[in-house]
Amino acid sequence: MSIRAFTNSIREGFQGILRHPLVTIASITTILLMLLLMSVFVIFSADARYIMKNVGQQPPIELYMKLDGTEAERTAVSNYLAGDTQQVLYFKLASPEENYNEFKTNLGDSSSILDNFDYNQYLPYTFHIQLVNPAYADEVVMHLEAFPGVNKVMQERQVMVFLTQATQWVNVGTAVAFCVLFMISLFIISNMVRISVYSRATEITIMKYIGATNAYIRLPYIIEGAIVGLVSAVCAWGITYIAYSRIFKILMAKIDPGSFYALLPMSSLSNGILLVCAFCGILIGAFGSGVSVRKYIQV
Amino acid sequence: MIRFDNVYKTYKTGTDALRGVSFKVEDGEFVFIIGKSGSGKSTIIKLMTCEERPTQGSVYIDHFAVSRMARPLVPVLRRHVGMIFQDFRLIESKNIFENIAFAGEIVGMPRKKLVQTVDIVLSVVGLRNKASAFPQELSGGEQQRVAIARAMVNDPKLILADEPTGNLDPLTSEAIMALLEEINRNGTTVVICTHDSNLVDRMKKRVIEIADGSIVRDDMDSGYTCAIDAPQEQCEEI
Repeated sequence: MSIRAFTNSIREGFQGILRHPLVTIASITTILLMLLLMSVFVIFSADARYIMKNVGQQPPIELYMKLDGTEAERTAVSNYLAGDTQQVLYFKLASPEENYNEFKTNLGDSSSILDNFDYNQYLPYTFHIQLVNPAYADEVVMHLEAFPGVNKVMQERQVMVFLTQATQWVNVGTAVAFCVLFMISLFIISNMVRISVYSRATEITIMKYIGATNAYIRLPYIIEGAIVGLVSAVCAWGITYIAYSRIFKILMAKIDPGSFYALLPMSSLSNGILLVCAFCGILIGAFGSGVSVRKYIQV
Repeated sequence: MIRFDNVYKTYKTGTDALRGVSFKVEDGEFVFIIGKSGSGKSTIIKLMTCEERPTQGSVYIDHFAVSRMARPLVPVLRRHVGMIFQDFRLIESKNIFENIAFAGEIVGMPRKKLVQTVDIVLSVVGLRNKASAFPQELSGGEQQRVAIARAMVNDPKLILADEPTGNLDPLTSEAIMALLEEINRNGTTVVICTHDSNLVDRMKKRVIEIADGSIVRDDMDSGYTCAIDAPQEQCEEI
């Protein structure tokens, strides 16, 4: 295809949008609704993963040293945790005194009952451990239990299992929803564009008779579909941006942004949503249009 | 040069449209293909434009076996063959200039040359003053002249016309035929499928008659029913 023929196709693509305004509006609306649904899934999935990650990083693993444990044994555990950056995100050694003070703080007004408590005799050194991924818990616990001087390693096993499974569910659910929505929107848009193409079936047949290639005939429709998809994507992104920003403001009004159940702000999601919407919108529009023309170019 | 070598065509419905058709058309000839409805004459046109493929046999245009031509090459063939139809087949959303220019645009003709070419072909068909009109604003005869102009844009060596006067009154039909004859005089091969006995009789060109998918007559300077100078007994035989 020559450059001139190519530019003609692009011009025709733009003209096609204005030629059937009602079909164009219907197509934009259909893709827009699908992209809005996709955006909701993407946001839900991103927030779910963010919360899982935060929850997974809370210290579900608590290591208790023996009361008679030595400094060398504690150093060995510390060195192991500091060296395993692949699995261990963060750890903190708490002395008996620090543990004592934390208990007192937790007791609040009743803390005076611990005033004469000899913490050095009853409270051990402890490690608070945060993992990169809750799935590593079993392996890390197994290693830690093997160290001399370690009394016991406690983990919220059920929580860890749930977190691991929930993260997988969210990922699979998002992928499945994404594929299903993509296929549905492709089907709907392909039928929508077919109405427009049907009204131009004679035109397409004439083009074939006078020597237009399939690519030459298809290109304006593909460009038209891509433009419709892009417009829908920008609209979907805009609506999502405004809606989520308001929801975020309401939900996060009384929540500390640093807490583990805080949501992701729109600024972190904005570019991703725009990219997903633009990619899917253009692909759905262009592919849906290209497929619709197929039937009429077999002349 | 067009050559049909023992061509058979059976449609998927089981209809035998052509049964062993063989003929040759030299460059610059003017040929009428006549026959009753369903005799197979439109199938001959469709085989020449690769709209259909023969079930058996070969079709050649300028020594290229178009019957075995690869799909991607079909548009290239069609750009070198001007096609004219009974129902004109103009794009209603484009004006006359755009309809004609479109045939040049698809081959990537430069804009300046395209404007000049369209202007020339519009002059040839006598519609220069209708360039900005739309097809529905023109009479049937004018629309057919636009179709002829479109067929001429890429300077084809061959023009195929399927019932070009089928929707036109006798006077307009005469004008269209005169135009095609003029194009033929300039060296373009013209093949016309028609029912119009008056025109065929008047023009005295080569006539190929098809009946039930077979050629029953191929006469030079002939008429619709029989060669003008053929012996009476031969005509009766036909």
